[in-house]
Amino acid sequence: MVIPLPYSVGASTGAVEGLYSMSKAWGIPWIVPRLAIMFAVVSIIIGFISVAAMFLIWWERKISAHIQSRFGPMRVGGWHGWAQSLADGVKLLLKEDIIPARADRPIFILAPMVVFASSLAAYVVIPFGPGLIVQDLNIGILYIIAISSLAVVGIIMAGWSSNNKYAALGALRSAAQAVSYEVPLVVALLSPLLIVGSLSMTKIVEAQYVPFIVVQPLAFLIYFTCAVAETNRLPFDIPEAESELVAGFHVEYSGMRFAIFFLAEYANMFVVCAIATTVFLGGWKGPLLPPVAWFLIKTFFLLFVMMWLRWTLSRVRVDQLMNVAWKVLLPLAFVNLGVTGLVMLFYPAG
Amino acid sequence: MTVEEIVQQIQSRFQEQIRTSEVRRGEACLIIKGDKSFEICRFIKEELGYDYLNCLSGVDWITEGEMEVVYNISSLKQPGKITLRARIPRNEPVLRSVVPLWGTANWHEREAFDLFGIRFENHPDLRRILLPEDWIGHPLRKDYQDERFVSYPWQDRKPGGVARPTSA
Amino acid sequence: MTTVNLQLQQVQERTAETMEEMWVNMGPQHPSTHGVLRLLIKLDGEIIHECIPYMGYMHRCHEKIGENRAYVQIIPYTDRLDYLASMYMNWAYCLCCERLMEIRIPERAEYLRVIIGELQRIASHLIWLGTFGLDLGNFTLFMWCFREREMILDLFEAVSGQRLNYSFMRIGGLALDVPEGWLADVKSFLAWLKPRFVEYDRISTDNVIWQKRIQGVGILKPEDAVSYACSGPVLRGSGFRWDLRRDDPYGIYDRFAFDVPMGTRGDVWDRFWVRRLEMEESVKIVEQALKAIPLGQVLAPVAKKLRAPVGDIYSRVETPRGELGHYLVADGSERPYRYKVRAPTFVNLSALPVMLPGCYIADCVAVLGSIDIVLCEVDR
Repeated sequence: MVIPLPYSVGASTGAVEGLYSMSKAWGIPWIVPRLAIMFAVVSIIIGFISVAAMFLIWWERKISAHIQSRFGPMRVGGWHGWAQSLADGVKLLLKEDIIPARADRPIFILAPMVVFASSLAAYVVIPFGPGLIVQDLNIGILYIIAISSLAVVGIIMAGWSSNNKYAALGALRSAAQAVSYEVPLVVALLSPLLIVGSLSMTKIVEAQYVPFIVVQPLAFLIYFTCAVAETNRLPFDIPEAESELVAGFHVEYSGMRFAIFFLAEYANMFVVCAIATTVFLGGWKGPLLPPVAWFLIKTFFLLFVMMWLRWTLSRVRVDQLMNVAWKVLLPLAFVNLGVTGLVMLFYPAG
Repeated sequence: MTVEEIVQQIQSRFQEQIRTSEVRRGEACLIIKGDKSFEICRFIKEELGYDYLNCLSGVDWITEGEMEVVYNISSLKQPGKITLRARIPRNEPVLRSVVPLWGTANWHEREAFDLFGIRFENHPDLRRILLPEDWIGHPLRKDYQDERFVSYPWQDRKPGGVARPTSA
Repeated sequence: MTTVNLQLQQVQERTAETMEEMWVNMGPQHPSTHGVLRLLIKLDGEIIHECIPYMGYMHRCHEKIGENRAYVQIIPYTDRLDYLASMYMNWAYCLCCERLMEIRIPERAEYLRVIIGELQRIASHLIWLGTFGLDLGNFTLFMWCFREREMILDLFEAVSGQRLNYSFMRIGGLALDVPEGWLADVKSFLAWLKPRFVEYDRISTDNVIWQKRIQGVGILKPEDAVSYACSGPVLRGSGFRWDLRRDDPYGIYDRFAFDVPMGTRGDVWDRFWVRRLEMEESVKIVEQALKAIPLGQVLAPVAKKLRAPVGDIYSRVETPRGELGHYLVADGSERPYRYKVRAPTFVNLSALPVMLPGCYIADCVAVLGSIDIVLCEVDR
C-alpha cells in the first residue's frame, strides 16, 4: 500500500517516513501518525497567524503614528512598545463575556468562529517557500477564493444574532460589499492564471520568470483594490466605521469574541497579500536571501501599502462603493482578460 | 435708503401703531403695539427690502405689565438696521408669528415661547426647544419661582446699588 | 424617559409613516454629532426624507445667569458659549458692552484683539477641518490639524494662562499685555503654518474620494440661506460675499486688506472650501496687524463698577461660525436687564432640515460637519 506522503518538505521527509514506518512496526494504524502530523502543522500555522497578527497590529499602530507625526506605543515591553499587542491580548482575554440578553446565543457564539475559521482555512495553500506549503492543492486559487467567501456567512450571523437594528444593517451592508468585490477580484485573477495555465499555487510561482505585475499591471491594481475592499479596510471600511450612523456588525461583541474578529481581519489581510505576492510578485523567488524571507518581505511590503492607504485616504460612501465595483472595476477586469486572451492567442508560449 | 427714510416710511404707513421711534447709532428703533406687528414686518421685508432677520428676542417688562418681542432686522444688500419692538400685554402674551416671512423665526419664536410663554399664532410647530418637553413654567420671566433657583431678586436692585441674595 | 416619549409622540402625531419609511435616531450620544444633539431622521432605504433636530441637552441658562451678574462677571460665562473660539466670544460681548457704554479702547488693544481673534479663527477652523476629516474617515488630517492647533493654544497659554476658556478680554481692552517676544512667536508660527495648508490639501482637497464625498451634497439654496438667516461660511458657501468684518466693520478691521471667499453652489464642498481659504485670509490679516501694532496701554480706564446707560443695543461680530449677536437691554444698574445671545450655530442649525432631504444617510454626517456646530452655543 502506498502511503501518500502529505508533504514534500525536503529535510523532514525522512522524519515523516520514519514516523510512518515506526508506527507500522508497532502495529498502530496509519491514521494516528497522519493525524499527529496534521495537528502539528495546524498548530504551526495557528502559531504563525497569531504571531503575525500581533505583529501586524503593533506595526499598524506604529505606521499610523508616524504618518500622523506622533510616536505610537513606546513603553510596553521597552523598545518601541513591542509587547503592546501582547498586553492588549491579555486584557481582552480577561474581559467580561457579555452576550446581549435577547441575542440568539448559539449563533452569536458561533459567528466569530466561522469568520476566523474561513481565514484560517485559507492558509492551507499559501506557498511560503518551495515545498513549504501545507497542501499543494491543484485547485489552489479556487480553493482560497471559495473559502474566503465563507467569511460573509459569519458576518451575517454576527449581525443578525445581535438583536440590534444597526448591527443587522451593518452586516447586510458588509455582505453586499464583500460579494460585490469578489467578482472583479476573481476576474482580475483570471488573467495571470490564463498565462500560467494552472490553478496550483506552486505552479503559479514557478511560472513567473518575470513577475506578473510587470506583465499584468492592471490586473494587479484591480486585485489590490478588491483585496482592500474584501478585508474591510479604509477606504472601504463602512462595515466598521464608528462615525457612520450604522455602527457595524460587531457592535455587540466585546472581549475575546471581538478580539477574534479583529484577529480574523488581520489574518485575512495576510492571506490576500500573500495571494498577491504569489500571483503577481513572484512568490518566494529572489536572489541571495532564503525563499521564505523573500516571500515574507514581499507580503509585508504589500501589507505596508495597505496600511499606508488606510491612514491617508477618506472613506468611500456606500453607493459610490458599489458604483466602483460594478461599473469601473468589473468592466476593466473583463477588458484586461480579453486583451490577455488575445495576446495568448498570438503568442501561445506566454 | 437711509435710516431716517425707513423711519419716515414706516411712520407714514402705520402712524397709529407706533409708540415711539428714533434713529440711534445708525439704527431705526421703533416701539410698536403688538396687534399689527405682522403687517409692519411684512412691509419692512417686502417693500423696504430688509429680508434678513438677525434676531428675535423676548423681554419681560414686568413693572409695565407688558412683554415685548424685539425684531432685529437688516439686509445683505443695503445698509441700515431696524430694531422693532412689539409690545403685548403680559397676562395674555399673544403675537402673530412671522414664520411665513422669515424661516429663521421658527426656532427663535419657539425659544421665546419656551422661556417667556409668549404664544405665536399660526406658528407651524410651537413647542419647547431648549427645555425638556415636560417642563412647567417659563424661566426667563421676572417672577419665575423655583426652589432650586437662588436669585438676586431684581426688585432689590437700585440704579447704583448692589442687590443681595434673598435666601441663604 | 417621559421627555423622550413625548418627543416621539409629538413627531409621530404629525407625520404619518408609510410602510417603507423608518424613523431612525441619531444621538444624543454619537461620535459624529459634535456634542449632544439628537437628530430624528426619516429614512426611505438610504435616502433621508425629513430631519428633526432636538437640542437643549446642554442648556445651562446662560441668559438667566446674565441677568443676575454684573457686566464684568458675565465674561467667563461667554467663554463657555463656544469654547472652540473663546477669545472671539469674549470679544463679542466686550464689544457689545463698549458700544452700549460708549467706551473707546486703546489702539494697541484693538490691534491685539485683531491678532488674537484671527489666531482664534485659525484654531477654530483647524479643529473643524480635523473633525470633518475624522467624520469622513481620515484620521491623519485630524492629527495634523490638532498639531497646529496645539501651537496656537501654546501661544494663548502664554498670553492668558489658559489653554481653552481664556476670559482674556475686558470691557475696555484686554486683561493683560502680551509677554515679551510673543509677537515674534506669532510670526514664526505663521511661517510654520503656511506650508501646512499645502499638506492638508494633498490629503484632502486633491483626493478624489474626498471630492466625491462632499461635492453636490447638502445643498443650501440662496433664498433658503437668507430666509433662515444663515451666516458665516454657511451663508458664504451659498453665494453671498457677506462678511461682517468687511460689511459692518467693528474694531479696526477696516484698516486691513483681505478677501472674502465665496462659494457658488451651496454644497458641502463650498462650505469646506470657504473655511479652508478663510484660514489663509486670517494669516494675511495677522501679518498686517503685526506690522502696524503700536505700543501703549491695553486697557482703557473704566470704572470698577460699570453701569450702562438706559437703553438697548444689538451688536454683532463675525465669529468663525457666523454672526454672533448680543442683544443687551440695560436699565441703568450694573446688571443687564435682558441679555440675549444670538448664537450663529443655533440659527445655522435651523437650516439643517432644509439641507438634508434627498441626501444619503452617509452624507448626514458630512452635512452636519459642514455647518460646524458647537452644542454649547446652540443651547447656551
